[in-house]
Amino acid sequence: MAFFEPMQKATEPRHWLGDMEADHYFYGAGVMGQRFFEALRDEGKLLGSRCERCDWTYVPPRLYCERCFAELKELRDVGLRGRVKAFTVVYVNKQGEPLDPPEVFALIEFGPNITPFLHKLGDAPPERVHVGMVVEAVLKPPAEREGKITDIRYFRPI
Amino acid sequence: MIPKSDLRKPRRDVAVVGAGMTVFARRLQETGKEMAWEAAKQALDQAGLTLDDVDAVIVGTAPDAFDGVHKKGEWLLDGAGGSGKPFMRVFTGGGTAVMTPIVGWWHVASGLFDTVLVVNEEKMSSVRPHAQSAFAHIWDPILDRPLKPNLVWIFAMEMQRYMWTYNVRYEDIALVAVKNKRNAVGHPCAQLADPDITLEDVLNSEPLALPVRRLDISPPSDGAAAVVLTREEIAYELTDAPVFIEGVGWCIDTTMWTNRDLAFPKFVARAAKMAYDMAGIKDPRKEIDIAEPYDPFDYKELQHLEALGLAEPGEAAILTREGKTQRDGELPVCPSGGLLGVGNPIAATLGIKIGELYWQLSRQAGPRQVKKDARTGVAQAWGDLMQFSSVVVMRRR
Repeated sequence: MAFFEPMQKATEPRHWLGDMEADHYFYGAGVMGQRFFEALRDEGKLLGSRCERCDWTYVPPRLYCERCFAELKELRDVGLRGRVKAFTVVYVNKQGEPLDPPEVFALIEFGPNITPFLHKLGDAPPERVHVGMVVEAVLKPPAEREGKITDIRYFRPI
Repeated sequence: MIPKSDLRKPRRDVAVVGAGMTVFARRLQETGKEMAWEAAKQALDQAGLTLDDVDAVIVGTAPDAFDGVHKKGEWLLDGAGGSGKPFMRVFTGGGTAVMTPIVGWWHVASGLFDTVLVVNEEKMSSVRPHAQSAFAHIWDPILDRPLKPNLVWIFAMEMQRYMWTYNVRYEDIALVAVKNKRNAVGHPCAQLADPDITLEDVLNSEPLALPVRRLDISPPSDGAAAVVLTREEIAYELTDAPVFIEGVGWCIDTTMWTNRDLAFPKFVARAAKMAYDMAGIKDPRKEIDIAEPYDPFDYKELQHLEALGLAEPGEAAILTREGKTQRDGELPVCPSGGLLGVGNPIAATLGIKIGELYWQLSRQAGPRQVKKDARTGVAQAWGDLMQFSSVVVMRRR
C-alpha cells in the first residue's frame, strides 16, 4: 500500500511547489454599497434600507429584501448610536501572540428590527463591556475619510 | 435491488413556468448577489409567484477563485432567495448552465418539493488581470501547468482534430459565429450582437491559437439567470402553456483530456441518450424542433449537434452552410444568439439555454421567435475540463 511507504522527508517525494493566486480581486460595493460608503465619507452618516412589508432594515443597505425579495428604495439614516448585542474580547492574534491591550469586537444594534452591525469597540475596558451597553461610532475626521468601513475608527461607550 | 429502468422514472412531471436573466456584460457596479436577485425576481414575476411560494433553491456558480470569495454559493444565498430554505450549490463548469435545472427537476420530480427556484450567477470580471488567472489552475499541476496551458490552445487542438477527422472546412465553422452573433441582435441581454458581421470578419479576426481566431470564441462576462420549476398541477394553475422537462441526462468523461475522442464528444452523446430515452425520443432528427447546444466556440456548436444526434459526424457544418440551422431554417440552432452572441458568464448561460427554450416553446421569444411551431427542444451545456455534458429535453404539450 502506497499509504505505508516509508517516505519521511518532504524532500524525498518528487514534488512541485505552486500557488493558486490571481494577481488580485476587484470587489465592487454594489448599487447600495456605493451609496452607503459615499454617505459615510461625505456626510458621516450610516444608512440602512428598509423593507416596509417585512418591517426590517438592512445596515449597510441592500438593494433587495432577502426575506420577501422586494426591491428596497427607501434609505434611512440609522444614526451613530446603538447597543451591544454580542461581543468578544480578543487576547491573541492569528499567530498566537498576545494582544496588549486586548481588542474588543461587537455586534451593534441601531434599534429594533435593524440588522446588527459588526465593528470594534474602543475606549472600552473589557471588564466594562456588556450586552445592552450604549455605544457610539467614532468617525475619522472628514478629510481622512475614504469611503471605507474603517472610516469608522471604532464604537465607544457613552 | 431496484430494477435499473425504475430509477429513471420520475414520480411527477415538472414544468418551467418562468425565466429571467440580466444583461451579460462586464458589470463593475452590481455585486453578484444583486445580479442573482435581479434574475431570480424576474423569473418569479414571470411565473406569477413570490419567494414564499418557493420550497427550495438551487444555485449554480463557478469556482470561488472567480469572485475571490470562498463558499461562494452560500455567499450568493440571499440574492438567490435561499435564506431559510433547503438550498444547495451545484457546479459542473460550463455544464452548470443545464445541470442546475436538472437538479431542480429531481427536487420536484422526486416528490420532495413542489416549487424550486434555480439561480445561476457568474462574475468573471472580479479576478484580475483576467479570468484566465483562475482557468490556469484547472490543469494537472505537474504535467500540464509547467507548460503554461491556456484554455484557448487546448480547444484549438480539439478543433483541429475535429476538422481533420471529418474534413470540416474552417469557413463553414466560422459561419456559426456569424449566425449566432446575428441571432443575438434581438436579445435584450446580448453583449456581442452584431447585425452586420460577415464571414470575412471572422476569417480576418486576430489569430489566437490557430485554428481559433478571436471571433470564434465567446468572451468572459458577468451576469445571472434563473428559472422556476414546479409540478404539473401547479404549472397549469399558473399558465395555459407550461413547458415540461421531459428528459434529463448528464455524463462526464475522463479527466485525462489527452485520452478522449477529440473529434466526437461521446460523453455528450451518452448524456443525450439518457435524456432522449426518458423523453421517449427515438429519432431526434425528426422529433427535435429546436436546439440550444453549448456554443462557447463556434466548432463546439457543430460537435454538440452531432453528439446530440441532430447531424451525422461532420455533417453539422454542411447543415450550417445550407442555412438549415438559421432561425427560420429546418432546425433552428441557438436562436437566442448563444454564448457567441449573447455572452458567456459560465453558469449564467442557463438563460440562453433553458431560458431560451422556455421562451421559444411557450412562444414568448419576441423578435427571436422561430418561425416554425416548435414544440420540442433540446438544450445542452458542456464544461468542467471539457469533459462534462448536461442535456435537457423540453416540450410544450
